[in-house]
Amino acid sequence: MWRNDFEKLGLPALEDGARVVVAGGPDYYPGSRTSSPHFSFAVTGLRLAGEGDLLAQLELLRKRLDAEGLFAPQKALHRPALPRTIGVVTGEGGKARDDVLAGLSRRGWGGRLVWAFAPVQDRHAAPAITRALQDLAACGEVDVIVVARGGGSLADLLCFCDETLCRTVALLPVPVIASVGHHTDRTLLDDVAAVSCSTPTHAAESAVPAHCGEAREALELAARRLEHHGRRAVLDRARVLARLSRAPAQHVARHRTALHQSLRELRAAGRRGLSARQALAGTHATVLSRKGTAAAAEAKRAATLERLRMALDAHDPERTLERGYVLVEDAAGGLVTSARAARDAGAVRLRFADAAVDATISEEPQP
Amino acid sequence: MSEEQATHTYETATGRIEEIIRRLDSGDAGLRETLELLREGRALVEFCAAELDAVGQGLDELRLDELVARLEAGSR
Repeated sequence: MWRNDFEKLGLPALEDGARVVVAGGPDYYPGSRTSSPHFSFAVTGLRLAGEGDLLAQLELLRKRLDAEGLFAPQKALHRPALPRTIGVVTGEGGKARDDVLAGLSRRGWGGRLVWAFAPVQDRHAAPAITRALQDLAACGEVDVIVVARGGGSLADLLCFCDETLCRTVALLPVPVIASVGHHTDRTLLDDVAAVSCSTPTHAAESAVPAHCGEAREALELAARRLEHHGRRAVLDRARVLARLSRAPAQHVARHRTALHQSLRELRAAGRRGLSARQALAGTHATVLSRKGTAAAAEAKRAATLERLRMALDAHDPERTLERGYVLVEDAAGGLVTSARAARDAGAVRLRFADAAVDATISEEPQP
Repeated sequence: MSEEQATHTYETATGRIEEIIRRLDSGDAGLRETLELLREGRALVEFCAAELDAVGQGLDELRLDELVARLEAGSR
């Protein structure tokens, strides 16, 4: 086979001992002066034989489907968190059935489960699986479909690489979760499906993303929080309104208290002022009382003075003269109080009450 | 089911409930908005509860042909 013919095939480099299937025909070379004629088999086509051949074909198909964009549509489909109806395509007697049930039980899911049993290996499998998928999708009630099968050889799983099946799944309006073979196996169905899982249990869990028990608890919590907000929305505002409605009354009460306080202070101040005035009045009364005593003393003193004046008047010489007595004065105005002195003076002046009269003593002075 | 709920899925409903609670938690909503949010939230909780109830009644297993038969019987 010519190298450029081989490279056109796009095959990987062949290892020594690789089994291949070739196509071609006989070729005869008539020879020349320098080379002998010979007969050869000219290879024009080549493919790997056995499992290698299958894998190579699958790889080509995978590339073709990918190039057509058939790996994307399923992945763009919406997968409900809580599907009501799940379709399962699997073998009727396989262990995958129990694994799917275990996975759903682990999610606490108890909805409608529609079994679409189909052969999962041999040449009838791919058309049966394709038909089951189409029927499930056509029901209109199935939210998600699980295709489950346990592990097997490449030949056993080959039906899940069927081109028609893969094209059907790619264009199905219902999301398909594939769980075919073990995690080391990779079928074309895994590529076109919305989700590819390693085990049927995992596939069942992926079909119900929400854990029903946890979802119920979360919902109860959300409901309680809503109710709490509902109560608060009313009660908090009612409290504010009540406070606002009480505010004027409290304002009045505060003023009333303040007025009472002022009134008490005024009364106390009044009492204090009265006491002060009473004390002042007492002081004045005392002063007045003292002043009264002084007047009495003054009157007494006046009476005493009158008495004294009268006593003095009684001893006034003028008053004695008025009663008929006479003062005898000498020429010098001195009192003549004896007969001898009168004789000695010779001339005297007699002072009566109303006037004075000069007199001459006729008797001679006596030796 | 109201028109509002008809457009909801379980995921969108739970997402909206979380939004409502966040809004209420913020304390920024006025009384009218709060009451509207509470009304919407309660309706969504009921919707989600119904969705959970629908998948909480116990597994209802049936074969595809039985489902088809049921659907055909229901459509008659």
